[in-house]
Amino acid sequence: MRLLVLLWSLGPLLWQLRTSLLRPEALVAPLLEGNPWTLANYQLVLSGDPPFWQYLANSTLVGLATTLLTLLLAVPCAYGLQRLRGPMRWGVGLALVAAAMFPTVLLFLALLEIARSFGLANNLLALSLPYTALSLPLAVLLLRAAFADLPGELEDAARLEGLGLGQRLRFVLLPLLGPALASTAILVFLASWNEYAIALTWISRSDLLTLPIAIARIGGGSVFTIPYGAFAAATVLGSLPLMLLVLLAQRSIVSGLTRGAVKG
Amino acid sequence: MKNRTLSLLLMLPALLLLAAVFLYPLLRYGWLSLHASSVLTGLVPIPNGGANWGRLLDDARFWTDAGQTLRFAFCSVALELLGGLGLALLLHRPLRGRGPLRALTLLPWALPTTVMALGWRWIFNDPHGPLNAALRSLGGSSYGFLSTPATTWFFVVLADVWKTLPFVALLLLAGLQTIPADLEEALRLEGATRLQILRRLTLPLLVPYLTLALLFRLAQALGVFDLIQVLTGGGPAGSTESLALYAYLNAMRFLDFGYASTVMLATFLLLLVSLGGGWLLLRRHGLARSTERAA
Repeated sequence: MRLLVLLWSLGPLLWQLRTSLLRPEALVAPLLEGNPWTLANYQLVLSGDPPFWQYLANSTLVGLATTLLTLLLAVPCAYGLQRLRGPMRWGVGLALVAAAMFPTVLLFLALLEIARSFGLANNLLALSLPYTALSLPLAVLLLRAAFADLPGELEDAARLEGLGLGQRLRFVLLPLLGPALASTAILVFLASWNEYAIALTWISRSDLLTLPIAIARIGGGSVFTIPYGAFAAATVLGSLPLMLLVLLAQRSIVSGLTRGAVKG
Repeated sequence: MKNRTLSLLLMLPALLLLAAVFLYPLLRYGWLSLHASSVLTGLVPIPNGGANWGRLLDDARFWTDAGQTLRFAFCSVALELLGGLGLALLLHRPLRGRGPLRALTLLPWALPTTVMALGWRWIFNDPHGPLNAALRSLGGSSYGFLSTPATTWFFVVLADVWKTLPFVALLLLAGLQTIPADLEEALRLEGATRLQILRRLTLPLLVPYLTLALLFRLAQALGVFDLIQVLTGGGPAGSTESLALYAYLNAMRFLDFGYASTVMLATFLLLLVSLGGGWLLLRRHGLARSTERAA
């Protein structure tokens, strides 16, 4: 059973890995002689113009900027929401859940208009603005749940000691929120790394493409002309950083998602 | 009162950004959908008195795509819930190597959709992909997984299920972990079989999580875009085109912003109706109540 599950989850990934290491001739016809294995696909991808690592760097930049901005906005918002009482609290919570569920592709056209009229297209840092908005609902919900878990006496004590709001957040509350902040940050980074529709329409300069767009663009040609080996190499290179992140931060991701489910 | 003002002030920056990114587009689409704004008008909006909505009603492609989108969404969400439940039950059992197993099964969900859409395109490739190679070695002949209009949609569903099943499983796993183990133990001591425990204890307690996964995934699946754009481009013969892809094509290929806005709004309405319908259906069966209680 375990094996079956692993085969289902990893099979397609391993097949990409295998494809990326095969010579192009070996893909269409089993070679009868000679060594079918090669690293040429990786050389091809890495020596492209722009080289592949450029896309990785672009995605990393957008991801980091988005994560930072999201946390900066989400922490005060979650704190405020947690302290709020009455129908507003309920209403804002519901609106956040609705926004978290909203399929973001439906937003791209109006956002594209905004980008054009404010000159934000082809700007990676500007791209992190809509990304932050897309990540905010989940981030606020997760962090609000984390704030709710902290004992209220703690903050009262800090207030009696004469600490202001900023100090209470910085020295008392946030240090205790470490795990929640970490899992929120990872989920935000993942979402930003994988976003497609908005990046597709905001970014047109080839040296500024984020990874999902770059990969989709390589594959834009006809099915028969695609250099599948190079492609597979690109997907492997593009997946590796994420795989590392997921494997290393698995516990954090799972706890973040499950918390969101339990409290949301 | 001072407390309340402070709370609202702290929330203001985030709420403003959210309004700009979520609320403004919907209002803008409402306005644009009542205007002609295309290459013909130089993308300058000119009021056209609801002509876009009239066109939508007569647009066979829109209605075909709506049907295809619903078919895709319902099939993939149903399979994800079933498969996700199975996977969650498996991951919940005390197994050797459960931690790494969880991490590895989570991988498909974490990777960019476009990346693996390309991977699937190669796996489904006719005739060189591994699936066709396997078919041939079993004595069959190659099958056009992505070029047979009658069946291609199902393979798109399969690729979507592969990617999002881990997410559903994780949500349900969170639900399983809230069920006290001694309840299960007590039922077992009374001689209940595994299936009985599942039906009488586990599933009822899991309803809030199933509902959450259902609503969330349904909303996402009804807006499916990147998977289809990369995997099939909407083909063959438009048989996998989704509403979101149609709206995208109207905006970016046909440069008709007015009509694209109309299609987006219509998609959003369809989504509201589907989710609302799903909710009412659950409610009629008394399932929603336990969700509300849990929320």
